[in-house]
Amino acid sequence: MSVRLRGTDSAIQIRWIPKYTTLERFLHWVHTATFIPLALTGFILFAPFLQPVAQGEAGTQIRLIHRIAAILFGGVPIIYAILQPRRMLINLREFLSFTKYDVLWVKNAVPYYVLGRHHDMPPQPRFNTGERMTALVMILGTATFGITGLSMWFLKSIMPTVLYQLMVLVHDLMFIITFAMFLIHFYLAVIHPMMWQSLVSMRYGVVSESYAREHHAMWYYGEKRAKEMWERRHSES
Amino acid sequence: MTNHWVDLKNADVIMINGSNAAENHPASMMWVNRARDERNAQLIVVDPRFTRSAATADLYAPIRSGTDIAFYGGLMKYVMDNNLYHEEYVVHFTNAATLINPGFQGPEDLDGLFSGFVDDDGDGFGSYDKGTWTYQTDAEGNILRDETLQDPNCVFQLLKKQYSRYDLDMVSQVTGCPRDKLEEVYALYATTGQPDKTGNIMYAMGQTQHTVGSQNVRCMAMIQLLLGNTGRPGGGVNALRGESNVQGSTDMALLAHIIPAYMATPNAGSHPNLAAYIEKETPATSYWANKPKFLISLLKAWWGDNATAENDFAYDYMGKVESAGNHYWISLFESMHAGDIKGCWILGQNPAVGGPNARFEREALEQLDWLVIQEIFQTETVAFWQEPGKNPADIKTEVFVLPAADAMEKEGSIVTSGRLIQWRPQVAQPPGEALPDHDILNLVALKLKELHAREPGPFADPILQLNWDYSGGPAHPVVGELIDIAKVAQEVNGYAVRDVLDADGNVIVKAGDLLKTFGWLQADGSTACGNWLYVGYFYPLPDGEGNILPASKRRGQKDPGGLGIYPYWAYSWPVNRRIIYNRCSADSQGNPWPGGKDLIWWDAAKGSWTGWDVPDFAATKAPGDAGFNDPFIMKTDGKGWLFGALNEGPFPSHYEPVETPTDNALYANQKHNPVIKIWRTNEGGDVGDTYGDPSQFPIVATTYRVVEHWQAGGMSRWLPWLAETQPEMFVEMSEELAQEKGIRNGDQVSILSARGKIQAVAIVTKRFKPFQVNGKTVHQVGFPWHFGWGGGAEAPALATGDTANDLTPHVGDGNTTIPEYKAFLVNVEKA
Amino acid sequence: MADRLAMYIDTSKCMACRGCQVACKQWNDLPAYQTEQTGTYENPPALDHYTFTRIRFAEYDDPDRFQWLFLKEGCMHCGQAACVDVCPTAALKYGPNGIITFERDLCNGCGYCSQFCPFGVPHLSVPSPLRGTGSLTGLEGQIELAQYGALDGLTGDVKSSKCTFCQDRTVNGLKPACVKTCPAGALDWGNRDEMVAKAKARVDVLKTQRNFPQAQVYGDTQLGGLGRIYVLKAPPEAYGLQADPKYPAMSTLWQKILQPVGQVAFGATIVGAIAAFFVARRNVHMEEVE
Repeated sequence: MSVRLRGTDSAIQIRWIPKYTTLERFLHWVHTATFIPLALTGFILFAPFLQPVAQGEAGTQIRLIHRIAAILFGGVPIIYAILQPRRMLINLREFLSFTKYDVLWVKNAVPYYVLGRHHDMPPQPRFNTGERMTALVMILGTATFGITGLSMWFLKSIMPTVLYQLMVLVHDLMFIITFAMFLIHFYLAVIHPMMWQSLVSMRYGVVSESYAREHHAMWYYGEKRAKEMWERRHSES
Repeated sequence: MTNHWVDLKNADVIMINGSNAAENHPASMMWVNRARDERNAQLIVVDPRFTRSAATADLYAPIRSGTDIAFYGGLMKYVMDNNLYHEEYVVHFTNAATLINPGFQGPEDLDGLFSGFVDDDGDGFGSYDKGTWTYQTDAEGNILRDETLQDPNCVFQLLKKQYSRYDLDMVSQVTGCPRDKLEEVYALYATTGQPDKTGNIMYAMGQTQHTVGSQNVRCMAMIQLLLGNTGRPGGGVNALRGESNVQGSTDMALLAHIIPAYMATPNAGSHPNLAAYIEKETPATSYWANKPKFLISLLKAWWGDNATAENDFAYDYMGKVESAGNHYWISLFESMHAGDIKGCWILGQNPAVGGPNARFEREALEQLDWLVIQEIFQTETVAFWQEPGKNPADIKTEVFVLPAADAMEKEGSIVTSGRLIQWRPQVAQPPGEALPDHDILNLVALKLKELHAREPGPFADPILQLNWDYSGGPAHPVVGELIDIAKVAQEVNGYAVRDVLDADGNVIVKAGDLLKTFGWLQADGSTACGNWLYVGYFYPLPDGEGNILPASKRRGQKDPGGLGIYPYWAYSWPVNRRIIYNRCSADSQGNPWPGGKDLIWWDAAKGSWTGWDVPDFAATKAPGDAGFNDPFIMKTDGKGWLFGALNEGPFPSHYEPVETPTDNALYANQKHNPVIKIWRTNEGGDVGDTYGDPSQFPIVATTYRVVEHWQAGGMSRWLPWLAETQPEMFVEMSEELAQEKGIRNGDQVSILSARGKIQAVAIVTKRFKPFQVNGKTVHQVGFPWHFGWGGGAEAPALATGDTANDLTPHVGDGNTTIPEYKAFLVNVEKA
Repeated sequence: MADRLAMYIDTSKCMACRGCQVACKQWNDLPAYQTEQTGTYENPPALDHYTFTRIRFAEYDDPDRFQWLFLKEGCMHCGQAACVDVCPTAALKYGPNGIITFERDLCNGCGYCSQFCPFGVPHLSVPSPLRGTGSLTGLEGQIELAQYGALDGLTGDVKSSKCTFCQDRTVNGLKPACVKTCPAGALDWGNRDEMVAKAKARVDVLKTQRNFPQAQVYGDTQLGGLGRIYVLKAPPEAYGLQADPKYPAMSTLWQKILQPVGQVAFGATIVGAIAAFFVARRNVHMEEVE
C-alpha cells in the first residue's frame, strides 16, 4: 500500500501490522458513538447556561436519549465478552501489566507528546501506558456507570436515599474523570499531529511498521530485544 | 340542641359522652376550641374507646358500652352528696321540691322496678301503670312543694334514694371505668354547678342507640338541671344530629308517633274525631294549650278551602294509626318480613346496610311485592337483589329506582342541630334525569290526583281535595316544569287565609300574607301553617345590614352581646330563639347569674324581659307575678322535670343491654329494661331474631361512624377522595384481646354474633383496653357500620366491606324503639 | 426573610378529621386511588405524587398520659431547601415569601428532589419502572392513572410534585386550601414570625394549663427555619418526625464541590489540549518519526 506524504509529492510503501480485530474496531466506534451523546447530555448538568435544554419536555427527551445511549454503551463490553472472550482476556491481561517502563513513560509523556523529545521515551508493548490507562479507566467507568446509572434508573424509591445520593455522586465523579480523559484521548487520537495512525488503526485495524516500531517497540521487536535496544540507546547517550 | 353550635364557645366544661364529635361533627370543634382558648374551658370525653375526640380532650374516661345510666347516676349522687348542685336553680326552676304521691315506689323498694309494673305474659317484659307517678296536690289542685327539699316524698329526696347505691365503687364496677378517672370526671363536671359556671353535654347516637336510650338522655337533662346548666349560655343538653337535616326531618315528623311539630299521630282508637284529639292532646297549662291552633292551621295548610269548621277542618282525611307504637323501624321490618307490608317506598336511606340485623332486613325486602327507592347511587338497598350469594331470579320484588338529586343539587332549607333553619341555594344541576325529592313527590302526587279523579274509588276525597299547587318553578327538559319551592316554604311558614283580627278588631295580618310568629295562629281556620314551630322562617326580616329578606335566607353577621347568638343569621325555631328555656339564664329575681354570660334579664325600668336572645317567657311577667320562676313553659308545671315519666319510670335506672357479658350488679333481679319488646321471629334460624349468650359471644361490641364516611355510605363510599382515605371494613381491638386470640395488626378476622358472621381487617390498638367489670375482665371491640358489598354491579361503591349491622340485634329502646346498635355481644377469631 | 410566610399547625387542636387531606386533593385536582386497610387509619399509606398532605397517626404511650398523635405532613418549605439546590431545571425555586414553588412545566422528572429531600416529600409520578401502577389503580371519576405506567418509568416520562402551599392561591392573597378548610382552628397561615410567636405562646399554654410538659415548637429553627411551624404535644420522634433533620451532606458535596470541580476539570482539559496542540505542532514532526 502506498501513502502520500502530506505536503509532498512522494509516496512511500508501508508495511501494515494488524492491531485490532474488526469486532474491536466496530465496538470501539459504538462505544464512541454512545459515549458522546451520553457525555453531552450529562454535561448539561454542569453547564448552567444549558439549563433551558434540561427543562420540561426537552429535558425528558434528553434523558430518554441518555438512557437509550446508555443501554448501547453498556452493551459493548457484553457483546465483546460473548463474541471474543479470549481476545478480551488477552487484552485485559495486557492492560493490567505495568512495569518500570510505564513509570518512565509517564515521566516522558509530556516532553514526548508536547515537545517532541523522542529520545528518553521507553519502549512500549502493543498498548502504551496511556492507552492502557485509558482502557482501564473506561472499563472502570463503564462498570461504574452501569451500576450507578441502573440504580438511579430502576431503584429510585426502592433503595435508601443516602445510597441513591451516593450513586448520583459517584456517577458524576466518574463522568468528570472519563469525560476529561475522553477529551485527552480525543486530542491525542484525532488532533495530535503525531498520532494520526491511531485513527487509521481504528479505521483499518492496522498500524504501519514504522509506527509500531516507534510507539510499540516491545510489540514490534519483542520485549527482550526492545528492552536491550532501549538500554543500549540509553547508555550511549 | 337546647342551645346551638356557636354557643359551645360559652361553656366552662364540655362533656362529650356517647358522641365522637371530633369525627362526626368536626365543625363543632371550632367552638369547643374557642371555649378552651378564650375561657380555659376543659373538655371531657367519656367513651368505650379512645376516639379522635378523646385524643383532643383534656380528660378521658373509658366506660363499657351500655352503662351510661350507672355513670350518670353516679354523677348525680356525687353532686347531691357533696352539695355541688346549683341550689337556687334546683329549688326554683325544677320540680326537685315537688312532692310525689306517697304511693310511688322505686327500684330501691321494688327490686329494680317502679310501682305499677304489669307483665301480662310473664316473660319479664311488660309495661307500667303510671298511676302512682304523680304530684301531690291540695284540694284545689295546686301542686305541693317543699322548697327546703327535706320532705322524704319530694323529688329531690326520691332522687337521692334512687341513686343511693351508685357510689364510685359500684359505678366503677359496672362501667369498668377506673375509680380515680371516674372521680376526676365527676369532680370536674360538678364544678359547673357553681352559679357562675356552665357546662355543656354533647351527645349523639352513643346515648340513644340503646334499649335504655331515652333514659340516657333523661339522665343528661337531669344533670343539667341539678347543675343549673339548662337554658344558659354554654349549657344545655345538646344532641348532635347525625345528618345535616335530621333536626328538620324530625320537626317535619319523619317518625311514626308524631305529625309535624311534635303533635301526636292521630289514633283511630283514641282520636276518632277532632274534638277527641283536642281534648286528649291539649294540656290545660303550658304553651301546648295552644295545640288546637297548631293542628287546625296544619289541616288548613293541607286541605285549604276544603277544610272547614263544618267538616272538622278535614280531620277525617288524616291517616290514622290503628294502635300506638307499632310503626317504628324494627316493627315495620318485622311486618315486612311477615309479608304484611306489600310495598315500600324509601327515600335516601340504605337499610340493607344501616338497619339492625341487616341480613334479616334484607330478607324482609325480598318479601315485598314492590320497592320504590329514590337514591343518588346504586346502594346496597337499590341493588339488594344483587347481594352476593343470592340469585336475583329467586327474588320476586319489583324494584323501581328513581334517580334523585343530591343535597347540593336542590334549593331549600335545612335545619341544623341547633334548630337553625338555613336556606340553601342550588349549586349544581342534578345529573341526567335525577330530580330533587320534592319534585319526584310532586309528580307522584299530581298523578295520584289525576288517577283518583278518573277512578275515584272508595275514599278519594283526601287526595282529590288536597291543597296542592306548587307549580311555577323552573322549566325542566324531561318533566316540563319543576315546583316553585318558595310556595312550599310559604305554606310551611304559614299564612293568613283571611284577615286575622286582634281582640279590638284591628287587623293583625291580612288575608294571603305570611305569618310572623306562631302567636298569630288561630283555631278558627283563618290561618294555615305547615309547621307551627317554623312560623316566621320565611317571613321577610331585616338582616341587620340593611337588607330585608325571607328570614332563613338572611346572612347578617352582627352579634350584639358577643355570646354568639347572631340573631340576623338565618332563623332559629322557635321565633328566632337561639337558646331555649333561656328564662333560666337569669336567677329567681330575674337578674343574670354571675359569670358574665348575661343572655336575658328582667328590665324593671322597661317593665319587660330584655337581652340578646328572644326571651322564652312571657315578656312582661314580673318578679312577684305568679309563675315568674316557672321557666319551662312547655311543661304543665313550668318546672324542669327531675321527676318525669318515660315508659321505664320517672327516674332512669341502670339496666344491662339485651346482650351483655354480665349480670346487673345494681338490680340483681332486673337485668334488662323491663318495657322493651323482644322480637323472636325465626329465632335460632340462619336469619332471625336470635340473641347471643356470653358463653359463646363473650366480647362487647359497638358500632360507630368514622369521619371519612357518612352513615350507610350512600353519600361517601362512591366518592373517590373519601373512599381512598378509609377503603375497607375494619375492627378495632385491644392488644390484650389480640394476643389472647393470636391476631396481629392487619390480619383478616371474623366477627361472629348470634345473627351472623362478617370479615374485617384487625386494627390492634392501645386505644382499646379491656374493662374490669363486676370482678372479671371484659373485652370490647368496635367497628364502623358504613360498609356494604358495593351495591349495584353497574356502578359499585369504591369502598366496600362486610356490613356491621349483619351482627346487630333487632331490638330497640323502651320508648322510641331506636335499635340497640351500640352494645351487643360478639366473638372474634382469626379468619 | 422578614416577609416570609408560614403555615401554623397545632397538633393539640388537630383531631384528624382529614378535611385538609381531601381539600388539598380537591383544590389541586389530584386523583384518588385504590388503597387498602392495613391496620391503621392512615391512607394513602404515604405522601405520594397525588397526595401532597396527609395525616399521620401515631400512638404514644407516654407514662403520664396515653396520646393519639396526629401530624399533618407535607412539604416543609425549608429555609435551606436541598430540593431547590439539586433541581437542575429550576422547576423548584425559592418563590416569593419563602414558599418553595414548583413549576410542573419546567420539571423534567429527574427525581433528584425526591431523593435529596430530608423529609422525603417530593414524589415522581412513577418513581421507578419496578414500581409502576400496581399500587395505583385510579378510582372512578378521576384522571386515568394508567397513563403513568411502568413504560413511563422506563423512558422517564414522569414528573415530580409536592405541596406548594397552594401557590396559585397564596400568590393571590388566599390561604392554602387546607388552612381554609380546617374546622378545628388547628391550622393558620401568615407571616412566619407571627406564626412562630403564636406557636410559642400556644406551647406555653399547653405546658402550663393543659398538662403537656413535653410540648414544643417544631420548625422554627430546623433547616434554616421551616415553612411549617408545628405545635407538638410530645417529642418529635413520637410523631415520626426527625428531631434534628439534616441538610443532606451529599447535596453539599455534589453541588458545592463536585460540580465546580467538574467544571474546572473540563475547562482545564480543553484549554490544556488546545495549548498542547499549538506547542506540539511546532515541536513534533512526522519526519522525525520516520
